[in-house]
Amino acid sequence: MIRRTRALAAAIAAAVLLAAGALVTVAPLAIAIAVLAVILVAAGGAGAAWLRGWPARRLYLAAAWSLPMLAVWLAATAVSGHTPGGAVRNAWLAVRHHDLLAVAIQLVPVAVPAGLALAGLAWSWRLAAMAAGAGGRSPGAAVAFDRRQWRHQVRAARARIAVPGAVPLLTARGDFVAGAVIRAVGHPASQLTRLPASRLRAHQLVIGGTGTGKSTLLLRLWAGFMAAGLTRHAAGLAGPPVLVVLDCKGGADARRIADRARRVLHESGARNVAVWPDEARLSLWELPVRELVTTLVDLIEHGTGGAAYYTDVMEAVVALAVEAPCGPPASTADFLARLDAGWLALAYGEHLASPAARQVPDVALRFRTLFRRLGPGLDGPGSLADADVWYCILEGTAEVRVAEAQARALVDLLASYVTAAPAGQVLLAVDEFSAVSRRLPIWQLYERARSLGLAVQVSAQSWHGLAARDDDRYRLAATAEGGIWLLRTPHPDPVVALAGQRTVTDSARQLTGRLRWSRSGTSRLQAAPVADPDLVRGLDVGQAAYIYRGGATFTQVKRLVAGPAALGRQAPIATAATTASDRHDRPAGPPDVSARPDVSVLPDVSVLLDAAFGPAPGGRA
Amino acid sequence: MRLLSGHGPCCDGEVNSAAANAALVFTAEMYGLQLDQLAVLLGGTSRQARSLVTRWAGSGLAETATLGPGPPWVWLTRAGLRACGARYAAAPPALARLAHIRAVTAVRLALDTVPAYRDGGAHWRSERHLRGRVRIGARDHLPDAEVHWPDESGLAWAGECWAIEAELTAKTVARTTAIMRELLSRTGDYGCPAAQSRVPGEPPRHARAVYLCSPAATGTVLRARDALGAGRIEIRSLPASAYLAAPS
Repeated sequence: MIRRTRALAAAIAAAVLLAAGALVTVAPLAIAIAVLAVILVAAGGAGAAWLRGWPARRLYLAAAWSLPMLAVWLAATAVSGHTPGGAVRNAWLAVRHHDLLAVAIQLVPVAVPAGLALAGLAWSWRLAAMAAGAGGRSPGAAVAFDRRQWRHQVRAARARIAVPGAVPLLTARGDFVAGAVIRAVGHPASQLTRLPASRLRAHQLVIGGTGTGKSTLLLRLWAGFMAAGLTRHAAGLAGPPVLVVLDCKGGADARRIADRARRVLHESGARNVAVWPDEARLSLWELPVRELVTTLVDLIEHGTGGAAYYTDVMEAVVALAVEAPCGPPASTADFLARLDAGWLALAYGEHLASPAARQVPDVALRFRTLFRRLGPGLDGPGSLADADVWYCILEGTAEVRVAEAQARALVDLLASYVTAAPAGQVLLAVDEFSAVSRRLPIWQLYERARSLGLAVQVSAQSWHGLAARDDDRYRLAATAEGGIWLLRTPHPDPVVALAGQRTVTDSARQLTGRLRWSRSGTSRLQAAPVADPDLVRGLDVGQAAYIYRGGATFTQVKRLVAGPAALGRQAPIATAATTASDRHDRPAGPPDVSARPDVSVLPDVSVLLDAAFGPAPGGRA
Repeated sequence: MRLLSGHGPCCDGEVNSAAANAALVFTAEMYGLQLDQLAVLLGGTSRQARSLVTRWAGSGLAETATLGPGPPWVWLTRAGLRACGARYAAAPPALARLAHIRAVTAVRLALDTVPAYRDGGAHWRSERHLRGRVRIGARDHLPDAEVHWPDESGLAWAGECWAIEAELTAKTVARTTAIMRELLSRTGDYGCPAAQSRVPGEPPRHARAVYLCSPAATGTVLRARDALGAGRIEIRSLPASAYLAAPS
């Protein structure tokens, strides 16, 4: 390989010398000028490829796209009765008359495609030599070259996403665009990271630490899902898309992201974005009776071993309360009222047998405590069908156990909703999954969800945040058939290993002196990871590696610009009184008219302002 | 805040120390002010104002110069700012902002004339103060001032915080609307963590925004308010004293 690259370099140098020599003595001057023009274009093309970090394919494509120009030129020459050689002679005459414009017009149709093709050849040779470790003065030159090319590629990708309109959310074919490609390994080397929209309806995994741009990527994925889903729905191919986001972090940051998500998703077509539990509620009591019993029992954490007996007792009592002849409970208060031995005896017309009767007060106590901690968010009214997007904020940082129970209930509600309407497109996105992973066996949902049209997207800060056990983590990662998004994380190795390996040429060069290497040596084939873990560790904010089917595409994610923030209310939002149906009456998209404060609530300050500044110009609106 | 009225006698036409100190703090907060505005602030004559500035300059607390048309400007030196307990950078008022600074000062002085403002204990929080709180590089739009009304003021609008904007020149309607929206949707104090600056569900920081406009800017601000549809924006004309003297 090394000897071959030296031969190629020598051949190109000889070509340049030949052209220069011909320019002076041997060949007709006009031909020499044409060759020189080709070399100049080739040098420019190769320089641009180096500067922008392009693959050689890009130069070949550019050469192919310039061929029509050559065809037109040949046709025009034939029509005018000239020959191509005559055109070159005309170019030489133009040189003698210092008419550079005429020179360019005469030579460009030939020099550009030929020069670009030559540049592609030279650049691919250079890339291959450096990838094999055979180029440069030292073995370390290949590493430095790769780092430099990475910087150039990042710069080019950033420039690309900065161009307004250059990175749409969906292409004309309906493909989702995540951003600009920095580098692709094992995937097509296009300019934009395009994914078929069907990938957004498949399970995906997103791993990235704090401050790496994970929220920006998630928002783009959600917006893409919503836009593509609405397009499919409009075409009659599927039911309306529903996005359920479980933000398991909670706190003010979650609310800030919820506000941004609302604005971004409005832009992508979502009419109603409900923020749970701040602004909207869901009703746990709409679950079918059997599922309601299971969900209620699962909401309470049970021990193992001997505690299984009490679990059975609790399930029996809950089943009695829920499956009473008068129908299932309609609210939390109704359910708690039924957890009474007297009520159950009246409902069933007979006395409860021991030991269940003795346990009813204890069961009631546990549920009273649970619902007090859960708050009113699950007490309705409201169902998942009431909004296009449900952004559910779980206080997984402050109240882990409450968040776990809420997540469990919300997932059960979603599973029930999907089962009832299997033709829909539903995406469940669980952000900061580690906060609730202990009691939310989401892989169970993975395995039965696809057939129901439910996709699950799990995101976590790290590999270890995905689940408590390694088996569960691998199960999640291995079933992410929509791909894995990997942002900067200190431990990417398990995910990178899932991406697979590729065969690369590794060359060893002979050391001939102090820091001097000869150009002779040996090469061997060896396996290297498709996604370089060191690159992943060094990713900047907004950069992600998309791993799919043994390939990796490093992407500069395009941030979605949300509409302006809705005006805040004068008084805190009356969440207790807000119902899903109320929310539906609001028009979609900012400015949210309903969010405007009621002017009549504000006291009139005209007295003060008129005294200081005079009356209002143009009257009061 | 007429500093001489009701604050004790002057000594041979000179401003007493309490009034002088209050004027010193006022000057620090407003970047600087012109002598005629200082005279209005003191409730005295222009000779008294000039005498006070001479005293300040002699003590190294302030500097004075004619920066533009009209009376000379006075601003505090580093020593003057330190005496006020302010940690602002000592610099003369920027030439490009002279008109704006004068307009904002005129707004503050106009409010001072209203008994409800004085008696209500309203607190003027200047742009310079707000700017000192935000981190470098923050892109928040700062109002020209905030007026905080204490809960105990007994006024109908007690407890409110107002954003004050003095508009001398017309921006575009879109830009003005964006600024109005930003002012009215903000929930956190200036300088707070970014996550707290706009928290959905939290009451807004500014109950209303008060725009004081020149005739040239009034139309744009009115259209921006109509475009926004927000009823929390009050629009009034700038006081006649808000404009720089025409260059001779």
